Amino acid sequence: MAAQDKPIRIIIGKVGCDIHERGALVLARAFRDAGMEVIYLGRYQTADSVAKTAVDEDATIVALSDHTGSMRYIAEEVMAALEKYGGSDIPVVAGGLIAKKDLPYIEKLGVTGNFGPGTPLPTVIDHIRQRVEESRQAAKA
Amino acid sequence: MATQPENNENNSVVYDRSLGGMVRDATQAFIPLQEVYTPEDIEGTDYESDLGDPGKYPFTRGIYERMYRERLWIKSFIVSYSTLEDTNQAFKEYLANGQTGLRLLADLPIQSGLDPDHPSSWNAMLCGGISSYALETYEKMLDGLPLENVDYELAHMGMSSFLCFYSYLVAMMENQGLDISKLRGASINDPFRSKIVYGCPDFPTEIDRRINLDLIEFAVKNTPKWKAYAPNGVDPQQSGFTAVQEAAHVLAVATAVYTDLINERGISLDEVGPTVFSMDAESDFFETICMFRATRRMWAKIAKEKLGAKTARAQSLRIGIRTSGLSLQTQKPLNNAARVTLQILSCVLGGVNSLDASSIDEAIGLPSREARLFNLDAQHIVTHEANVPLVADPLGGSYYVEWLTNKIEDEANKILQTIEDNGGMWACLESGWLRHQIDASRMRVQAEINEGKRLIVGVNAFQGDEGPINQAIENCAYKVPSKKMRQKTIADVKRLRATRDKEKVNAAVLELYDATKEGRNLVRATIEASKAGVTLGETVGVIRMAYGYGYDPLNQIEAPAFITELLGGK
Repeated sequence: MAAQDKPIRIIIGKVGCDIHERGALVLARAFRDAGMEVIYLGRYQTADSVAKTAVDEDATIVALSDHTGSMRYIAEEVMAALEKYGGSDIPVVAGGLIAKKDLPYIEKLGVTGNFGPGTPLPTVIDHIRQRVEESRQAAKA
Repeated sequence: MATQPENNENNSVVYDRSLGGMVRDATQAFIPLQEVYTPEDIEGTDYESDLGDPGKYPFTRGIYERMYRERLWIKSFIVSYSTLEDTNQAFKEYLANGQTGLRLLADLPIQSGLDPDHPSSWNAMLCGGISSYALETYEKMLDGLPLENVDYELAHMGMSSFLCFYSYLVAMMENQGLDISKLRGASINDPFRSKIVYGCPDFPTEIDRRINLDLIEFAVKNTPKWKAYAPNGVDPQQSGFTAVQEAAHVLAVATAVYTDLINERGISLDEVGPTVFSMDAESDFFETICMFRATRRMWAKIAKEKLGAKTARAQSLRIGIRTSGLSLQTQKPLNNAARVTLQILSCVLGGVNSLDASSIDEAIGLPSREARLFNLDAQHIVTHEANVPLVADPLGGSYYVEWLTNKIEDEANKILQTIEDNGGMWACLESGWLRHQIDASRMRVQAEINEGKRLIVGVNAFQGDEGPINQAIENCAYKVPSKKMRQKTIADVKRLRATRDKEKVNAAVLELYDATKEGRNLVRATIEASKAGVTLGETVGVIRMAYGYGYDPLNQIEAPAFITELLGGK
C-alpha cells in the first residue's frame, strides 16, 4: 500500500486544565466520519504525553484544542516536546478560543488552522488533509 | 443552508421570497409542535392541583405569593479576573451598578484541585479566573466587601473548590469576629456535574459523595442561610442535554443526594429548607419558560411525596440561572445582545430567582467591563421600562405554555423512570450511562446544525459581513494572562509555604487527615487548615491520602516532604 493511501491517523490533545471538551468531541466524531483514525487523549494532558503518544502511535498529524486563550504557550511546549521525542516531522494544527493577536506567533511555530468555534467541519477536515498531503510530499522529497 | 442573498452575473440582487423561511417545526429539545394550541390540548389540567396560585403548592406559577413585587431575582454574575486586585475592584464597581449577588470563580487548575506550582497548572493559570490557592487570596479578593447578609455564590466545578472556598468564607468571618450564621448564599455544588461534564480529577466519586454530605450537614447546623449544594443542569445542557433532559437530570440528582442525606445523616428536607437548582436558559424561548415551570412543579411533588418534605419552604424550588454560553457566537457578536436579552426575558417570565446572564463578548474571551454592565442594564430595562416583573407568571393559562409545561413534565418523568430502571443516578454515573446520554444528544443536535435544520444566525445562516461595531466587540475581549503574572502567582504560593507557621500547619494537616480517615465531618478541619495557611492543593492531597489514594490527582508530583513525614507513620 502506498503511503498516501494510508488513512490519516490523528491525535487530538488538550494540554493543561481546560475542561471545554465539546469542540474536541464534535471534531473527533467528524474526523472519524471522514475516514480518519482518531485517537482522542482526553483532558488534562501534558505536552509530553501528547508528543510521546504521537510518536509512539505513529500519528500522521496532531490537533490541539484549547479554550483558555493559552494556545501560544501550549503550541510552544508541544512543538518542543515533539522535537524532543523525534516527531518534529509530524504536522500540528489547532483550534478553540485563540486570540487574534496570538495567531502570527502560533503560525510561526508551525501550528496552523487555528480555527475558532463555528468553523464549518469541512473547512477543518480539508485543512488537515492539505497539511498531511504537504508532509507526505516533503517526506518523499 | 445557503441563505445569503446572491448576486447574479448582471450584479443585480436575486429575489428570493422564501429567504429566511422557517426550517423547524419542533423545539430545541425535539418536541414536535402544532401550529396552534386550544383548550382541548390542556383538557384535564386542574388549576388547584396542577398550577396553584403563586406561592402555593405545587409552585408551578412561582414560589412567592407576590413574586417579583415581593423579591426581585438576584442579579449576579461570575466575577473573576486574573488578579485579585482587579477582581476586587470589579466587584465594587458592579455592586454600585446594581449587581446583588457576588459570584466567585477561580482558574481551571485551582478548580481541578491543583496549586499554581503544580506542573500542569501553567497553561491555564489565571485563565478564566483568579488563582485562589489559599485563604490569603480570598482576604485580598474580598477586601473591603461585606461578608454578612450578602449573597455569595460559588460557581466552581469540583468538590474540592466548594470545600475550600466555603471554608475560606467561614474562616474569614471567624477571623474577623463575625457571626457565621449570617453567611448567605449557595454553592453550585453537584458531584454528578463535576464528573460527567468536567471529569474533575480532584477526588474520586466516593470522596465527592461523602464531602458533599459533610458540607450540607455543616451548613444546616452552622450557616443555615447557605445552600451547600445545588443540582446543576447548566453544564450538562451545555455539554449536550436538551431542556427536557436537563429538567429530569436536576430532579434525579436532587433525589439521589437527599436520599443519601436522609438515610446516612438523618437530616430531613425540612431542616435543609429551600433547594436551589442551577439551570440553563437556552435560546428556545417558550421551552425555557416551560422547563422552569415544569421543574418547580415536579420538585414540589418529589419533595413532598417521595422525600417526605412537610414544609412549603422545602417543597418550593428556587431556580438560579446561568444563561447559555453555548448559544453565543464569535461570528457577528453584536447579535449576542439579542440572544442574551431574550434569555433574560424567558427567565423572568419563567419566575426564576437568580440570574447570571452571559455576556455578548463571551464567545471571544472573558467578558469585558462594558459587556457586564450591559447585562445589568438589560435586566434593569426588563424591570423598569418593560414592566415585565409586575405580574406573577404572566403566561400562566396560555394554552401553548400549559401544554408545553405538561409535555416537558411527561417527557422528564419518562427519563426519571429510565434512570430508576437503570439502578438510580449513582449507578447511571458509574456505568457511563449518563455520559452516553449527553453524547448522543449532542451528536443529534450537531447533525441538525450540519444539515441546516437548526439555523444559527451568522454561523450557518445569514453570515453577512462584520462592521466596526462587531470588530470593536472582538477587540475588547480579554487578554491572555502574561507569563510574568503566572510566575508571580507561583512565587506567591512559594512565599506562603516558606513563611507560614510550621507547627500550626502540621497540626492542621494531621487533624484533616484524621478527621477524613475517622469519618468525622471534615469541614471544621478544613476551616482550621485554611486558617493555618494550608493550600488548596495540599488540602486535596491530604484528603486523598487519607483514603489511600496518591497525593496528586494527576499523578505527576510527589507529596511534599513534610506531609510524607507527618503521615509516614500512619
